[in-house]
Amino acid sequence: MMRMPPFKLHTPKTLNDALNIARELSNEEIEFDWIAGGTDLLPNYKWHLNAKPHVISLSGISELSKLNSNHIGAMVSLHDLAKSKYTHPVLVKAADSIASTLIRRSGTVGGNICLDTRCYWFNQTEQWRESIDWCHKCDCGTEADCRVIPNQNTLCVATYQADLAPVLMCLGATIHLASVNGIRSMPLHNFFELDGMTRNVLQHGELVTHITLPEDVNEWKGDYQKLRQRESWDFPEAGVAALWRMGTKGPTQLRIATTGLESIPGLHLEEANNAISKWNGSNTIDTLADAIRKSVKPVQNTWYSPSYRKKMVKVLTKRACAGLIER
Amino acid sequence: MSDRDEPEGIIEREIKMDVDVIEVDQEMDFENVSSEIADLEVDLMTEESSEDEMVGYRQQPGKLPFAKPGSGGKNRFSKPTNQEMIPESQGGKLTQPWGSHRHDGLVSGQIIGKPTALVDSHWKVTGQAQYGDDIRLPGELIGRIVRSPYHYARVLSINCSKALELPGVVAIATGADAANKFGVLPVTKDEHAMAVEKVRHVGDLVACVAAENELIAREAERLIEVEYEILEPIHDMRKGLDDSENPIHDRGKYHIGEANVQKRVFQEFGNIDEMASNSIASHKQNWLFAGVNHAATEPHAVVANWDPSGRLTLYTPQQVPHYVHRALADVLEVPMHQINVHRTFVGGGFGGKSDPFPHEMCAAILARKSGRPVRITFDREEVYWINRGRHPSRIEMNLHADEKGRICGIETDALIDGGGFASFGHVTTYYNGVLHTAPYEIGAFHYTGARVWTNKPASGAMRGHGAVNSRCAVETGLDDLAEQLEVDPITLRLANLLPPHSATITGFRVTSIGMRECLERVKKESDWDKKFRKMPLGKGIGIGCGFFISGSGLPIHWDPNKFPHATVHLKIDMDGGVTIHTGAADIGQGSDTVVAQAVAEVLGLPLDMIRVRSRESDTSPVDLGSYSSRVTFMNANAAISAAMQIRDELLDATVEITGAIRDKLVIGDRRIFAKNDPAVGISYLEALHKAQEDRGALVASGAYRTPPMGRTHKGAAAGLAPAYSFSAYVAEVTVDVETGQTKVDKVWAAHDCGKALNPLAVKGQIIGSCHMGLGQVISEEMKYGRGGHLMNPDLLDYKIPSVHEMPEVFPIIVESNDPEGPFGAKEAGEGPLLPILPAVCNAVYDAVGVRTAELPITPDRLLKLIERRCRKEGIKEPLELESPTLKYSPLQNVLAARASEHSQRDLDRRLDANRKPYHNGALFGLDPTIPPDEVDERWAVNVIPSKDYLTKPRLAGSAWRHMERRHRGDS
Ligand SMILES: Cc1cc2nc3c(=O)[nH]c(=O)nc-3n(C[C@H](O)[C@H](O)[C@H](O)COP(=O)(O)OP(=O)(O)OC[C@H]3O[C@@H](n4cnc5c(N)ncnc54)[C@H](O)[C@@H]3O)c2cc1C
Ligand code: SF4
Repeated sequence: MMRMPPFKLHTPKTLNDALNIARELSNEEIEFDWIAGGTDLLPNYKWHLNAKPHVISLSGISELSKLNSNHIGAMVSLHDLAKSKYTHPVLVKAADSIASTLIRRSGTVGGNICLDTRCYWFNQTEQWRESIDWCHKCDCGTEADCRVIPNQNTLCVATYQADLAPVLMCLGATIHLASVNGIRSMPLHNFFELDGMTRNVLQHGELVTHITLPEDVNEWKGDYQKLRQRESWDFPEAGVAALWRMGTKGPTQLRIATTGLESIPGLHLEEANNAISKWNGSNTIDTLADAIRKSVKPVQNTWYSPSYRKKMVKVLTKRACAGLIER
Repeated sequence: MSDRDEPEGIIEREIKMDVDVIEVDQEMDFENVSSEIADLEVDLMTEESSEDEMVGYRQQPGKLPFAKPGSGGKNRFSKPTNQEMIPESQGGKLTQPWGSHRHDGLVSGQIIGKPTALVDSHWKVTGQAQYGDDIRLPGELIGRIVRSPYHYARVLSINCSKALELPGVVAIATGADAANKFGVLPVTKDEHAMAVEKVRHVGDLVACVAAENELIAREAERLIEVEYEILEPIHDMRKGLDDSENPIHDRGKYHIGEANVQKRVFQEFGNIDEMASNSIASHKQNWLFAGVNHAATEPHAVVANWDPSGRLTLYTPQQVPHYVHRALADVLEVPMHQINVHRTFVGGGFGGKSDPFPHEMCAAILARKSGRPVRITFDREEVYWINRGRHPSRIEMNLHADEKGRICGIETDALIDGGGFASFGHVTTYYNGVLHTAPYEIGAFHYTGARVWTNKPASGAMRGHGAVNSRCAVETGLDDLAEQLEVDPITLRLANLLPPHSATITGFRVTSIGMRECLERVKKESDWDKKFRKMPLGKGIGIGCGFFISGSGLPIHWDPNKFPHATVHLKIDMDGGVTIHTGAADIGQGSDTVVAQAVAEVLGLPLDMIRVRSRESDTSPVDLGSYSSRVTFMNANAAISAAMQIRDELLDATVEITGAIRDKLVIGDRRIFAKNDPAVGISYLEALHKAQEDRGALVASGAYRTPPMGRTHKGAAAGLAPAYSFSAYVAEVTVDVETGQTKVDKVWAAHDCGKALNPLAVKGQIIGSCHMGLGQVISEEMKYGRGGHLMNPDLLDYKIPSVHEMPEVFPIIVESNDPEGPFGAKEAGEGPLLPILPAVCNAVYDAVGVRTAELPITPDRLLKLIERRCRKEGIKEPLELESPTLKYSPLQNVLAARASEHSQRDLDRRLDANRKPYHNGALFGLDPTIPPDEVDERWAVNVIPSKDYLTKPRLAGSAWRHMERRHRGDS
């Protein structure tokens, strides 16, 4: 049976303890990972993907589990998020579409946002990866090239396939981080870094504590549309979130974000603003959907072909925006 | 006096009897007491103690007191026979619209036909069933397999020295440890335990290691150094047809040219020359079917142990333990009697656990080397490396219909991708053709098939073996023909069915056929006439049929006239329980239950008095295994014949005790009595003990062997079966025309299983088949990436439908009462898979007006077709497309009239014991009583391609361009 490489598990009870353990390990130059629900990390460990000798669990830290309309702790489970009366309905829809009932019980918001990027050439067993001579993201010291876009050897284009980020970005979420050096926060869309390996701005020993949402979240309406083969388990092959505020003559504000298409989720501010400034009902939605389709660049490393995913971005955008013209 | 007319007083008195007092040594009037017991209602029984004392047996001087047996079983009292379960032919109330059956006289009304929980279900639902990986022997080592990272390479050297130095490594083996070949078919043994010269696909076995734990074993795996010389691999099956510098296997003088063709078939039957010229409508389609894997819940696992006496026990979740037994003897070079194959619980097989496997050899070799038990359990990925799933296939399907709406020709060309080894492929190559020569009467059949080796994991047998893909192509083709002829596709089918007791164009003997009833039932229950071609864009309904073997006529390893296919032993001792010894492998399909039911029925016993010992080759008589949908048919027949011997002995004993007339005796619930006077009779145990006098336990052995049948041309045995199953499904789908996503909403699934011995299990098989077939048609696919790597060897990316994708299935059981089947039964395990694929494809056409020719119909593929239709019709948005419609042509009435005529014809044939033969061809005006090629010289039987054909062969047909080496004059 597939076994994980052995690791030492730390189970701090407070955020401070967790950060201190991280500092100690860092001082000794020992590598480690944070683990929340483990539904992403452990499958990767079983595949022997960049497994570390130490793992720090966040599950005992109760201060990370706070949940209300404007505050979502990193350790809130997807199940609790989806079932809470405080959660914005579009976020409920996205959370409820993730993985399966069982996985949503363990999987967390923090883990979802920090989800590792995925790639057909990467999410495989060791034996399999050996058969393709490894790849850049987990090269086992071979300096192997990327198998999707070869001959560049610097960038990994593995796909970010988590569902919450696009909705949270459209809702104007701010992400809060903590490390022994202190805390910092930023708009969620600034958290991600365009590389399948770096993924985000987290420094070694830094973690996500929570997400906050602006006071006006409940004035935003919208939808989240997800493309996948099966209605359970499957990661998004493309996901489009659209959220807007309605005025008397139509939308006054509109935000569109996508996931499952590139190494990071995308917030499409320019396209959305263009649509608002030239608002003309369903025609605008068509133009907008087309513009979003053109702005994404999926690659061949998930179940569906990039061309199909791209095409579907248009359909998903139209569907996500359908509520804009429903009267 | 009927059972219920008994005066109340007697019942009340009798229910006070108590077993606690049965040892009281008094005389008792057997006949009266037991007949009264028989008349009691079970639900009236209580555990109250009684003042009335139960009387015991008369004891001979010197013998120990002998417990009063009651009637045996958990319920102390026999139940009156339920006449609803007794066939009309025996005077009961069970109607028999299909006539009587040779087993009618054996029906005791116990268990056959009742929905019955599987006898091993308690073990499974309480987690106590031991599957392959649950076997833990003291001192076990963990085995791991070193696999090839290359598609195709020569193994130059293997250096194990570093691995052997690793503390905790106990044994390492390589191909050098096991030079002998094996394979599931005796004609194509081409596998080794581990690579002897070459590796043939990524994941092929190179070496194996046994260590104290998995961690060490994995580390050792890394330390084994293998030097390879990389060879040019083949991934595209079409390339397999060409000459190669390094064919994947070398079959010596039998090798076909220098190509990678493992098997080729050419067959022509019927009026080939005129099929095209006689046609007014023709269908042609080139199909591409992706390979699919069984994806059983339990990954393969094996434990091998050599006991102190030097015998090997191999614990393995196998569908076909007997072949493993033979293969182990060959590879290990030990006699078969030194090996005990112990089948564990099997967590799903579907064909994926029916080959003898190299890892089973590895475990045995490592255990022998180390002197300790060795356990090997696969990762999911390794399941894909061993594969044996359905062949990726390219199938060209041509159908022709004449002006009378008859199917005047089927031309099929099937190229199938065998991957690295032969497995069952020899048979698969035939099945892709011959298994679509029914249920329709056809004017001509032209088949060319070839199986090639490629550098992929080996394909093999999977539920619906060889029949699934070409059936899909035929049934969607018929839909297209109906469209062209402007007739209803169900009517088209109903007007072209073979009658019961007929011979197909290839000479298969078909006995019972419930095809017509299947079609009529699904048509009615799905409300077909209101929906077909009448629903809005995106909603569709479609029909598909199936035909499958119920057991294969040929026992692979021997002459069918020599040994039986199945043997069952019974042993009954004083406790009255019956032990059944059978080698039939219960793989979850319920074969233990069926064999128990058959014996229970004949002997009039409740199921709890039957125990099945089917695990170990040491104690089980040989059974060929759980494949070809043979087990219920063959093993239950063997069981019935064994039970009949016991029954005879019990009847003899009853005659001896009661003096009743033997012919008048019948068996009910644990009681044997005179039919005309139920008061005359004795309990089962009394009869048993009488029969045991002077000899002890009763034993009996029963066997099943197929009757002689079929024709004599080369390959005539492939597809021959003692009976065939039939099925018709209607699927209703919703297609999202903008995304191409297909959702199957409902399936009406009618299957003719002859007789549902256990309707619960039959329904389970139908629903399970729908799920499995659904996977192949909508999402399952072994995806090979650029460079030939299998991209999705895991259950996240190999897309088995989830519960959300599962349609509502309405199983419909049709019982055609097969004359040779046990109590009339035929198979229900594989046939029900076939129709779901074409039914869905045809429904998709009804929904969006495009015909797919590539499976699975993933949304991206379907969307391309929808877009193509849009472009063709100059339409911008898919939502503006029109849904297909149909206006009947005059032919519709002609067909409807013929269908109703045939319906009467079929009924007459069913019930007429003196019916004349009916050969395929009668519909075309030939004498039905003589094989067509004997009455009309235009009707051919030909199994060698002509020179003419070879000037323009089809794709698979081009395999015949090569000459076998021995015919080239090579040695
Ligand atoms: C079969 C299957 C299907 C799935 N389908 C979906 C799907 O449809 N959509 C989807 O979005 N996801 C899917 N997932 C992925 C995953 O289950 C969820 O995204 C889940 O939310 C991850 O949360 P977790 O707590 O389990 O993460 P973990 O596995 O614990 O962590 C994931 C990563 O985030 C890091 N991390 C976790 N918490 C923090 C923190 N607070 N600060 C910093 N880093 C942190 C970890 O170090 C790790 O690298 C699926 C997973 C499986 C196994
Ligand atoms: S995108 Fe390239 S580097 Fe990244 S995981 Fe895939 S193959 Fe490896």
